[in-house]
Amino acid sequence: MTGYDPLVKRLLDGELALAELPPELQAEGAEALRLLAVTDRLPVTLPAALDARVMEAVRARAASPSRRVLRWIAEPRELRLRVRPWVLGAGLAAAALVLLLRAPGARVSVREPGATAARAAAPERVFVRFELYAPAAKQVGLAGTFNQWDQAATPLVRAAKAGVWTVTLALPAGQHQYAFVVDGRRWVTDPAAPAVDDGFGRRNSVIAVGGTGARAL
Amino acid sequence: MVRAVLAGDVERYAELVGRYRDRYARYAARMLGSVDAAEDAVQDAFIRAYDQLAQCRDPDNFAGWFFLILRNRCFAERRRAARIGPMLDVETQPIAAPEQPDGVMETKERVRALQEALLQLTPDQREVFVLKHIEGLSYEEIAARIGGSVPSLKMRMHRAYDRLRERLKNRT
Repeated sequence: MTGYDPLVKRLLDGELALAELPPELQAEGAEALRLLAVTDRLPVTLPAALDARVMEAVRARAASPSRRVLRWIAEPRELRLRVRPWVLGAGLAAAALVLLLRAPGARVSVREPGATAARAAAPERVFVRFELYAPAAKQVGLAGTFNQWDQAATPLVRAAKAGVWTVTLALPAGQHQYAFVVDGRRWVTDPAAPAVDDGFGRRNSVIAVGGTGARAL
Repeated sequence: MVRAVLAGDVERYAELVGRYRDRYARYAARMLGSVDAAEDAVQDAFIRAYDQLAQCRDPDNFAGWFFLILRNRCFAERRRAARIGPMLDVETQPIAAPEQPDGVMETKERVRALQEALLQLTPDQREVFVLKHIEGLSYEEIAARIGGSVPSLKMRMHRAYDRLRERLKNRT
C-alpha cells in the first residue's frame, strides 16, 4: 500500500467531497475519512495552579536587582530641565553674539593701542594688529593660543609712534586668548581687550576673529 | 496589560496568564503527546514571555507573539525527547477520547493509534496536522501564524497523510 491518491488528499484537505471522487477512489476516500474521524479535538484545560507557579517565577524575576537595573535602563522616562530666566537670557545673548560675529558684512573692529584687525587674503583668516604701549620695554613678545603660548614665537617691533610696540598676524576665525610678554618675564594683558581668568591665577586677553574681521570680547 | 507590566505592574501579568492559559493548551498537548507535557510547556512559555516582554513589538497582539514562544518551546521539547529516547507513553498518559455511543473501546483504540502515529511524524508535519485538523485553521491561516507558503504547507500535510496511512494501515 502506497500513499493516498492526490484526489483523496484533496478530500482530506476539505477541497473535495467524497461523492466527487471517482468510483475507484471511493473506498480509499472512505478509509481516509475514518482516519480523520477519530482526531481528538476536545479542548484541553490546564490547572489553575499553573497561574500561581508562573506568577511566583515572575515576581522573583521582577524583584531581582539585575532585572530592575535592566528595566531602569531600558525604560523611557521623562526628563525635566528647569532653567532660571537669567540663564536663558544669557544663553540667548551668547547666541545673538555668535550670529552677529558670523553675519556677512560684520565690521572689523579697530582698537588702539591693542589688537586691530583687517581682512586677510584668505577668507578664513584675518589680519590682526596687536599693539602695546610700553615705552620702557626692551623687548615685547606676543604669546597666545594661536602660537601655543610661545613667548618667543611672535616678537613685537617698535612702531613709529613713540613707546608703541606692534605686530600683525593672520589669525584663523575663532576666539583666541593671548598676552604680551615684556622683557621676557612680565606677562601683560591687553588694556584694550577684555580678559578672562586662565584658571591658574592669571588673566588672558581675548579676541574673537570672524570670517570678515575681529572683535575683542 | 502588556504595557502595564512593562511599566512595572507585575501583577497585571496574571491577567495575561489567565486569559491565554488554555488558548493554546490543546495545540501544545497534541504537539507533545500529553497534557502534562503541555502544562510544562505553557508554564515555561509564559515565564519566557515575561523575560522577553520588552521585545514584544506589538503589545496588542500578545497572543500571536506568545504562540510563537510556545511553539519554539514545543519544538525544543520534541528535539530533546528525540535525543533522549522514545516518545511519551501515550498509553499511560492518554489524551481523552471523544465519546462514541457505539464501539467505545474500538474508538478509543483508534484514537490512541492515531495519536501514536501523529507523534511519529516530523514536528513540522505534526504541527500542520494539528493546526489544520485539530485547531481547524485553513492553510492561509496557518501560513499567517507560523510563516511559510500555502503550497509548502500543503506538501507537508500531504506527506503527513501518507505517513499516517502507512502507520495505521492495519488499524482502519
